[in-house]
Amino acid sequence: MIAGPANTTRGRRDWKAFLLSHEMLLLYALVGMWLFFYFAGTTTNRRGIVVGFGTLDRQFDILRHSCEIGLLALALTPVILTAGIDLSVGSLLGLCAILFGHLWQVAGLPVPVAVVLTLALGAVAGGLNAALITGLRLPPLIVTLGTYSLFRGLAEAITRGSVTYTDFPAGFLFVGQERWLGLPTQAWIFFLVALGVGLLVHRTTYGRSFRAIGFSLEGARYAGIPVARRLALVYILAGLIAAIAAIIYTARLGQAKADAGTGYELFAITAVVLGGTSIFGGKGSVVGTLLGVAAIAVLKSGLACLPVVMRMNAAEEMSGLLTGALLLLALTAGVAPKILSNLRSSSPSSSSTP
Amino acid sequence: MKKPLFRLACAAAVFLALLTAVSAADAKLIVAMLPKSKGNAYFISVKAGAEKAAKELGVQLLFDGPTDSNAAKQNEIVENWITLGVDVIAVAAENKEGISTALRKARRQGIKVLTYDADALPDARSFFVNQATPEGIGHSLMDEAARLTGGEGEFAMIVATLTAANQREWQKHIEARLKEKYPKMKLVAVRPCDDLKDKAQSEATAMLGAHPNLKLIMAICSPAVPGAAEAVKQAGKAGKVKVIGLGLPNENRRYVKEGVTDSVILWNTVDLGYLTIYAGVALAKDELKPGAKSFTAGSLGTFAIVGDSILLGKPFIFNRANIDQFDF
Amino acid sequence: MKRHVRELSVLGALVVLLVGLAIFAPAFYQPQPLLSLLTREAPALVVACGMACVIITRQIDISVGSVFSVCSVCAGLLAARGWPLPLVLPAAIAVGALLGSINGLLVAGLGLPSIVVTLATMVALRQGLNLIRQGEFVNLPEAVQWFGLSQTAGQLVLVGAALAVLVALSFALRHLAAGRVIYAVGSDAEASRLAGLRPQLATFLVFVFVGTLTGLAAMMNLVQSPQIQPLGGAGLELKVIAAVVVGGVAISGGRGNLWGASAGLLLLACISPALTHLRVEAYWEKAIQGTIIILAVAAEGLRGRRGGTRP
Repeated sequence: MIAGPANTTRGRRDWKAFLLSHEMLLLYALVGMWLFFYFAGTTTNRRGIVVGFGTLDRQFDILRHSCEIGLLALALTPVILTAGIDLSVGSLLGLCAILFGHLWQVAGLPVPVAVVLTLALGAVAGGLNAALITGLRLPPLIVTLGTYSLFRGLAEAITRGSVTYTDFPAGFLFVGQERWLGLPTQAWIFFLVALGVGLLVHRTTYGRSFRAIGFSLEGARYAGIPVARRLALVYILAGLIAAIAAIIYTARLGQAKADAGTGYELFAITAVVLGGTSIFGGKGSVVGTLLGVAAIAVLKSGLACLPVVMRMNAAEEMSGLLTGALLLLALTAGVAPKILSNLRSSSPSSSSTP
Repeated sequence: MKKPLFRLACAAAVFLALLTAVSAADAKLIVAMLPKSKGNAYFISVKAGAEKAAKELGVQLLFDGPTDSNAAKQNEIVENWITLGVDVIAVAAENKEGISTALRKARRQGIKVLTYDADALPDARSFFVNQATPEGIGHSLMDEAARLTGGEGEFAMIVATLTAANQREWQKHIEARLKEKYPKMKLVAVRPCDDLKDKAQSEATAMLGAHPNLKLIMAICSPAVPGAAEAVKQAGKAGKVKVIGLGLPNENRRYVKEGVTDSVILWNTVDLGYLTIYAGVALAKDELKPGAKSFTAGSLGTFAIVGDSILLGKPFIFNRANIDQFDF
Repeated sequence: MKRHVRELSVLGALVVLLVGLAIFAPAFYQPQPLLSLLTREAPALVVACGMACVIITRQIDISVGSVFSVCSVCAGLLAARGWPLPLVLPAAIAVGALLGSINGLLVAGLGLPSIVVTLATMVALRQGLNLIRQGEFVNLPEAVQWFGLSQTAGQLVLVGAALAVLVALSFALRHLAAGRVIYAVGSDAEASRLAGLRPQLATFLVFVFVGTLTGLAAMMNLVQSPQIQPLGGAGLELKVIAAVVVGGVAISGGRGNLWGASAGLLLLACISPALTHLRVEAYWEKAIQGTIIILAVAAEGLRGRRGGTRP
């Protein structure tokens, strides 16, 4: 499932372009970071155990901690491909977590039923975004800015801000806290969703239509693509995946509270853009998104293992700063070829359209 | 053009890595302390006490937390510490049940766990360093409010967020005390301020306008106390509407001296940090065992242990008479 | 009249809210709390004016909250060190302009998407500030508050200043060539380039401008209380952007004016005190806010107007 840029020439230029594609560069950076943290962040503690970045436990934790944001990033990839955006996925995670807790604890439904209902409700919430964006032709930024507040507000209203749902059965918590067949349980769910979204985006006509819509809305319409239906699909799908992320979040923490998922949407967007998907739509890949999620997670976890960062007690701040820097670097690398070619040619540069 | 640059970058990375790897491990005990949020002055003063204790004991202190109160982040940080192989983890729990999951995991790996400021579930930690029981805090606040209003009238509360666990606890005890002892007083509004002083000021201004008979504002979130005081002052109601709350002396000194804020209730947060580190290290060295009835912490002296709670003492009331003696 | 449908609907919504308050909670209309409310919102209004310009040029700046915090802390530290206010004010503005120019360089110079650039600068600035300041309050000397004037005088000065910015900017947008450039670049950057304008320069300057206004706003906030909380700018970007788009400035650029943005800001700012006065529980606030945003935007969509689908 390699998603490099489409090439029509053959031979060496194919390979060269592939190896220098955005996703591959990100991969090199990821590997480089990983190796750096492995050597710099692994030590032996006073009890003689190897600790730090280089332990299997740490790697599993990185995987476990990045499942929810990874799912949101996967949810956002088709959306951003269509030149849209969804700022409400984090708040929707919170709302779905609350709904799940409510359905299970207050309505007394068995866990599987509550899960299915929550997924349905997530899709319905995504449908609200879809209806406003496609039905009323409203800009996604504003609509999802509104639902960002609305969903969070509903979560707070339902719980009156303070109710927390806990005491979930061990079978449910297994999904978030234990391992299945060697990997953290939620990782399997994450991989499944990644596979599904990847196939959708890269191997179906739906995926192709997302790109077309992102590239040119009117062009896609003239080409006969049912734009409204496809846009509705991406937002409903985003809602559904946010609901899955909510279930995993609740299982991991063992509780559901109204503030679940606060701030996650920004990380998800960062991961998607880092992975090479253009915020203007039309270009991008699911593999890139996965690499972006991995890069952010490795950066964050690795920094916390470096002795110098530990001494400064600044892991959180450093990871924020460096993630921001990494994002800018990735973006600059993306436009670097264009700028260089503009500088090389003597015509006045025209790269100012947003 | 990108490849040679990239190779250079790789080499630089490896070189740096080797450099840092050399300066890595030392054999000090590592105590990891988790605040509810790093940017909060309350926890900054806790850190000051913790650093002092760490220096006295010769241990390494890791102090890290989410930049804003976030239960999921707290769990992730604890789990990161587990894989970092720390010896002791001390946590101020944003969320009781959620954090207990991670703490139990730490204990299973042989890491000693204690909580401070806000407790987790009892089976997830060995001890809870309690500055004062939530009940004690709630009662102190309510009693002080009653004293200042003569036991009757309307009052309002400003909290940090609607979701914060220990705020809910304190509120619960305040309301219980209100019902039990002060039937002539009425709580008319509870508004969150998201830990922001300016928002607290706006909320307090609105409260003052909406409830003309308001006699007191109780701000149980430390940035909110100066915010509420400023609102009362700007509304010209200093002295007519009393302000009390849970806050730090330094942030409130000006208002206490001007008479806008009457009492600031707290405990010595620096001591809290100090005590927590001492207790944590003692736990790691097996000097502090379950069932102990008292604990001595360096220069602070001996503290009583009730059940598995190490009590710092009673809530302390800062007012005009004594606020100058404190600097935190 | 038809051109300003959105602005008028927002104004209408604001009027409805105010009338509702007059009927159900007349206590809202006491002069002193109202003045306090307006004074507290004055900095946000100034930033909203800048943000409106940014959005009209088809960009966005989500770093204003962090820039506000940094400017506040810088100004506060200078004031605490004894610098006189007439020097602190330009310093704060300069810091804001500098940070804005960083955004501007990345967006206009390198052609990077503004939403991502300002996301990165927002995070970087916030974390950088946390690293340095660790959340500690900055205490200000007595003389700083209200510029040394009485409280009411100071409040009137601040509200007046915000209104002055609003009026001046409105005038400039409409009647000055620079204002025309902003609308032109926002409508179609390529066409404006072909017409001889310089969209890149305009974009760069717009970011510098919003940074400058944010510095000014930080200063206006500084004189309102004796302490500064470094986290103080949190959520400002959301508030201002919501206000501006609710007020009719189109995300797709080229349309909108500052009066709509101001009405939008006032509308959203009044929700919280309105809830307190109407005795509605606090946990309804976000839901109501979100609903208002959606309704404001949907009302326009229902008229069949095309809002565009570019972020």
